[in-house]
Amino acid sequence: MIAENTQTQMRKGILEYCVLLIISRGEIYASDIIAELKLAKLLVVEGTLYPLLTRLKNNGLLSYNWVESTSGPPRKYYVLTEEGKAILGQLDHTWQELAYAINTSKKGTTMESETQINLTKS
Amino acid sequence: MKKTLNINIGNSIIHLEEDAYETLTVYLNEVKHHFAKNADDFEIVTDIENRIAEMFGEMLSQQQKQVIDIQDVQTVIAQMGSVKDFENSEEQDEIPGNPQQAMPPHDGIKKLFRDTDQAMIAGVCVGLGHYLNIEARWVRLAALLSIFMGGSGILIYLIMWIVIPKAETKSDKMAMRGEEANLRGFMNSHQNPLVKQSRGFLAEFFEFLGNFINGTGKAVLKLLATAIVIFGSFLLLMLIISLAGVFGVWDADVYSYFPFSIINEAYFSKMILAAFVVFMIPILALVLFSIRVAFNGKPVHKTVSFGLLIIWLAGIAVSVFYIAKVTAEFKESAEFAQVKELVPHQTMVLSVDKTRFFTKEDSLNYKIDPINYKGRRILKDGRGPLDQPRNMNLRLEKSENGKMTLSENYSAMGKTFEMALKNAQNIHYDFQQRDSVLNFSSGLELLKKSNYRAQEVQLILYVPVGTRLKINHNLRDYLTGYSYWDCDSNDNQDFSEWMMTENGLECLSEPKDDHSDK
Repeated sequence: MIAENTQTQMRKGILEYCVLLIISRGEIYASDIIAELKLAKLLVVEGTLYPLLTRLKNNGLLSYNWVESTSGPPRKYYVLTEEGKAILGQLDHTWQELAYAINTSKKGTTMESETQINLTKS
Repeated sequence: MKKTLNINIGNSIIHLEEDAYETLTVYLNEVKHHFAKNADDFEIVTDIENRIAEMFGEMLSQQQKQVIDIQDVQTVIAQMGSVKDFENSEEQDEIPGNPQQAMPPHDGIKKLFRDTDQAMIAGVCVGLGHYLNIEARWVRLAALLSIFMGGSGILIYLIMWIVIPKAETKSDKMAMRGEEANLRGFMNSHQNPLVKQSRGFLAEFFEFLGNFINGTGKAVLKLLATAIVIFGSFLLLMLIISLAGVFGVWDADVYSYFPFSIINEAYFSKMILAAFVVFMIPILALVLFSIRVAFNGKPVHKTVSFGLLIIWLAGIAVSVFYIAKVTAEFKESAEFAQVKELVPHQTMVLSVDKTRFFTKEDSLNYKIDPINYKGRRILKDGRGPLDQPRNMNLRLEKSENGKMTLSENYSAMGKTFEMALKNAQNIHYDFQQRDSVLNFSSGLELLKKSNYRAQEVQLILYVPVGTRLKINHNLRDYLTGYSYWDCDSNDNQDFSEWMMTENGLECLSEPKDDHSDK
């Protein structure tokens, strides 16, 4: 149960980051985002994505354009805003820190890692 | 074969099988409910719906079919994720933009809803019971008791009815009981009712009223129907008995007594039968209908009811025909007068001749004046409800020539003037003078077998000035033009005394005692 919880939280944490990463590669439709996430084995269900996208949009990270579809209703194609790009940059940085933290934790080094983190920060 | 429904989702029309529709509706309601606390609920739900529509479209074109079935819906839901999945992904979501989501509506937290499934009235008490974890019956008992505290309970109930939302969806109902909502629960039970359209308080109130009347009203109706059956059967019996009675006493001149004497003898039996039919059939129909209502009997056979209707209409037609014929007998009126000279006395006594207050049988038994009464009968004095209207009245006038005369004006109606005159001539009125006493008969005598044709006699007694009149009490109802009551000074007397003066009749305020008995 605890393992499950932690897993979910770990996934959740990086979900936003991944979504922003996928969108940063260019204008994209929601189902294509899902397809990509599935490829990345990150997202279980689609329904989770829509509130996330809406939230990101409302926070100014994303915007979308309506694009006519050959089959069915017009589709929303999402793009990153300038603010979104800036935040993505910050997240990139954070991810590197986290990756480093994990790597360091796994190797078991203690003193050196601390100094290195300090270095990267400065 | 399965029933399909058309839905409009994401601006495209999709054909759905019924069970697929139910599942999808439950799912979408759940989704809506889940996101209802989110500020962007509309947008999110629209996105989801659009996506579902797109998936349906893809499925239809890929599988080369027309209709979405329940498997398709389940596939879509599995892909889209259930509300539980959404919750898991948002559990720790404490982003400042959505503070409310920190408290999701489910997960064992109860919400106050009205439970219309177990409702007595609107489900307020049951809902409260669910919320407070008390058995509904105790809440109801408390509510009932509160009514006796000045009726405040009713007002509170109505307010709660309006304020507390009804548990409409399955997820509402689960939240109401504090159960965790999940889709699997819905999938298991297929007979979960289609989500009804939300209705206003008034609509609900009237539905309740309708159901109440249906329930309680039915009992009242049955009671009423039973009463009608008993009363109606009694009435029918009475009708048949009276019909038999009317025909049974045929020989005894039924038709020569007032209400029957209007009708010509030739029409009598037909008209009575027609009237019987006209009255009996509606009562019979009412009784039959009431029997059906009261005892859940079978409806009367169509031919029977149709036949009854025909007979009834025929009865009406016959009645109308004869009523018209009889009415025509009252078309013309005729009148003639006959003047009798009387011997004047200083004091005259006027009274109704009581010796003639006999029925026909009495007069036969007593053999009163057999020559005069041959083929005649005496009419009763009109006082009962079914008796002949008063057909004699008396006026007292001042005589201009000093003689005492009695003018008898006979009048009657008839089909033609000639017939009316004949009817008037057939009137016999009995009046006698014995010295100073004038005896008036209380009514007309008609020839036997003559019909009632509004025969009347108006008597005008011309009294010379200075004549003293003693008028018997029994004549007062027949007097016109004077208020007898104003002169009725002494109750012990049979007479009141009057004097004819130049100015007409005047009351003598102090009648003499020695004339009181004659």
